[in-house]
Amino acid sequence: MKALKKTPLLRKASKAFLLNSIAFMLLSGVALYFYTQSLLQNEIEEELLSTKDRVEHLLQSNPNIQDIPPVIAIAKSKIQQKNSLKDTLIYDPLQDEVELFRQLSGTKLINGTNYRITVRAMVIESQQILLAIVFIFLLLIVLAFVFLFYLNRSRNAKLWQPFFNNLARIKSFNVKSDEPIHLEESDILEFDELNQEVAHLTSKIQVDYRNLKQFTEDVSHEIQTPLAMMQAKIETGFNEPDLSEGQYVMLSALQDDIRRLKNLNKRLILLAKIENNQFTQEEEISIKNIVVEITGNFRELTDTVFELKGNTPLQVKMDPHLAQILCTNLISNAVKYTIENQPILIKFTAKSLQICNAGVQELKDATQVFDRFYKEGNQKDSTGLGLSIVKKICEHYGFYPSYSFKNKADSTENIGFHCFEIKFFT
Amino acid sequence: MKFLIAEDEQDLRDAIVNYLSDEANICEQAADFNEASEKLELYDYDIAVLDINLITGSGLDLLKRLKAQNKSCGVIIISANNSLENKLEGLDLGADDYITKPFHLAELNSRIKAVLRRSSFGGNDSITFHELRLDTASRTAFVNEKAISLTRKEYDLLLFFITNQGRVLSKAIIAEHLWGDDSDMLDNFDFIYVHINNLRRKLTTEGAKYIQTAYGTGYKFTAI
Repeated sequence: MKALKKTPLLRKASKAFLLNSIAFMLLSGVALYFYTQSLLQNEIEEELLSTKDRVEHLLQSNPNIQDIPPVIAIAKSKIQQKNSLKDTLIYDPLQDEVELFRQLSGTKLINGTNYRITVRAMVIESQQILLAIVFIFLLLIVLAFVFLFYLNRSRNAKLWQPFFNNLARIKSFNVKSDEPIHLEESDILEFDELNQEVAHLTSKIQVDYRNLKQFTEDVSHEIQTPLAMMQAKIETGFNEPDLSEGQYVMLSALQDDIRRLKNLNKRLILLAKIENNQFTQEEEISIKNIVVEITGNFRELTDTVFELKGNTPLQVKMDPHLAQILCTNLISNAVKYTIENQPILIKFTAKSLQICNAGVQELKDATQVFDRFYKEGNQKDSTGLGLSIVKKICEHYGFYPSYSFKNKADSTENIGFHCFEIKFFT
Repeated sequence: MKFLIAEDEQDLRDAIVNYLSDEANICEQAADFNEASEKLELYDYDIAVLDINLITGSGLDLLKRLKAQNKSCGVIIISANNSLENKLEGLDLGADDYITKPFHLAELNSRIKAVLRRSSFGGNDSITFHELRLDTASRTAFVNEKAISLTRKEYDLLLFFITNQGRVLSKAIIAEHLWGDDSDMLDNFDFIYVHINNLRRKLTTEGAKYIQTAYGTGYKFTAI
């Protein structure tokens, strides 16, 4: 489906008003022109007829009437002719110009003599009147429309103002906050209804969100005690004198499963805590120092080599605990997924941290890599939460996390790099 | 030594008591706040292990009372909530250590022993096991009073083994003790082998063959 072009409400209303009024002005202007023109023409014709009548009347008492060129011409004629109207161009000696005249000409039998009487009237005057009328009409109507346009616009703006104010409040509404949404009251019925619906919906969303969060937290905490009991029983089982090797293997597998649950739990709690804004401590921290420390710790746990590049300390203002978690999760993700014997490349720039681990091909759903429980491949022990915690921390501080896949330029091997970058500053 | 375990979940309490009791240690139990409070008033303990969420009250209140009475009892707080605030509150009130559920019994045991070592009464810088001796002040190990050179992790590992002597320890238990949260970062505990094998080699060359393999993948520190 094609996306509709979006126009602001007030502009749309003004545009409709403008288009309609221009169409109205043109149509009414044209109509007025033709109507006035026909009126004026009738007027001239009636005048001509009455002038002709007068001339005929005069001829009855005085057959020697002079012509008044070019408006009246009298001639004796032998042919009978009916009245005929036409436009004609005649030289007017007074103005020394050829002018357009309306001419009525016809014959009349007066006192036994057949006269041909022609009367004329100048059209130019009526043309000027016509134009003047249409011009004044258009001028008035344009003025009226301009006035109406601005009146309408300011009226509209005022009318819709509560709507715009409330829209702004809805936009800045945060589901995570405990504050209910405050909407401006309106004396317009529909706006008031809209406000009530929005208030109702948002409060429901807030309650649902809080419940969900509370549920996650409660479950996470409540689950700890049963886990502790299971773990304790397993350890008691380890020390039973007649334990068989098969039973030991089973118990230690159970222990690993519990550990997975525990990790999952711990991360869910951490996510909830970040969402609850429970990390409020802020310090200037060198990301580089943290990474150096973490990679140092990792040397005891893995044979993977870390190659650190860049001299900038990368000072960032954030909670030290979260900084530690951010870097640990990124590095541990790289260690988990890298190809054996391939180093992990860590680069510091003035604004960002980049961590790259070797991989065969780009992730299929690169956009989802930071989502909860997204797993690529069959890494069985991953909680799928490490990178979503990274994302959550980034969201919390306004950092920008990204993923990209880079092919190794100088190698014919089918190996590239999964690169995770955190931009701390824009 | 005399311990009080205040934990409202009976299964967990039983498992802890069972693990900690031996010929040298007596464990008493309290199932709720009132029982724990009464016992702490009446008797003297070397260590009290207090669950924060006791049905009828908070372990932290027990801790406050203990401190108000000025008793020289080491306190370890157990919590189902690993929030930093809770932890800090517990430690601020004078708890000696803090452990979050779920925990390994071997870990709890090792924390208790550490508190006992640090306490002014009966505190001792030396731990001996047959010809082995650990000096906890200088973090050095001796075999027949001859110092052996151990890395930091190997020393911690040996201390953990001696503390939990005669118990079966899985790789997970050892990894979590030595690396704590960092052990979550990796999926398998193969890296543990290296450290255990190094320690075992160093001890064996001095004739101290106490690290036994149990059930294929576990370990047990024992003189057979």
